[in-house]
Amino acid sequence: MYYVITNKRIGNLGDVYKPKPGINVEALLWAGFIAQVDDGTTDEVSTTEAPKGAKTKKATKKD
Amino acid sequence: MATTTYLSNPVVTVNSVDLTDQCSAATFTHRFDQLENTSFGKTARTYQAGLGNHEVTLTLYQSYASSETYATLAALVGTTTTVIVKPATGSESATNPGFTLTGCFLAEMPVVNATMGELSTVDITFVGGDYTVDVTP
Repeated sequence: MYYVITNKRIGNLGDVYKPKPGINVEALLWAGFIAQVDDGTTDEVSTTEAPKGAKTKKATKKD
Repeated sequence: MATTTYLSNPVVTVNSVDLTDQCSAATFTHRFDQLENTSFGKTARTYQAGLGNHEVTLTLYQSYASSETYATLAALVGTTTTVIVKPATGSESATNPGFTLTGCFLAEMPVVNATMGELSTVDITFVGGDYTVDVTP
């Protein structure tokens, strides 16, 4: 996901917009200054889960 | 030689939006809380800096058109943003510093401030945040 400039007050039309620290991106989206483009990538990081142990009871000795 | 400066073409950017053509006045104040540390033995009050408490006040012509004043500011009320004021157009330099307030808060904005026969203007103040001066192009 990335942002594209859609208004000249931000920069050149069509350029990728990279918000600097402190910028309220939601406000820019609301007013239509930039547009969000979904390129299929996400910011989520996939992790591999550790394999679970077998659900078997250990044999125990009973007196 | 003493000089006077009148701003004829500064650059005002609010939340990345260039509002220069809507702005007619800008006051950028670099301020620290004044903490008294006067103690016995001193003959005059002394102070030291506390927390930074900077602010920017802008006078803007109101417009409800797309990409104008209201569209830029409406979603910022009650949130934080970044405001930049430069004395002139062109790249930042030691003689054209970009005064920046990052993470400043906009508590309120007059959504209607109109007088018959006059252009509508709004005075807004951004408070708090980190003050920096950009002199590198």
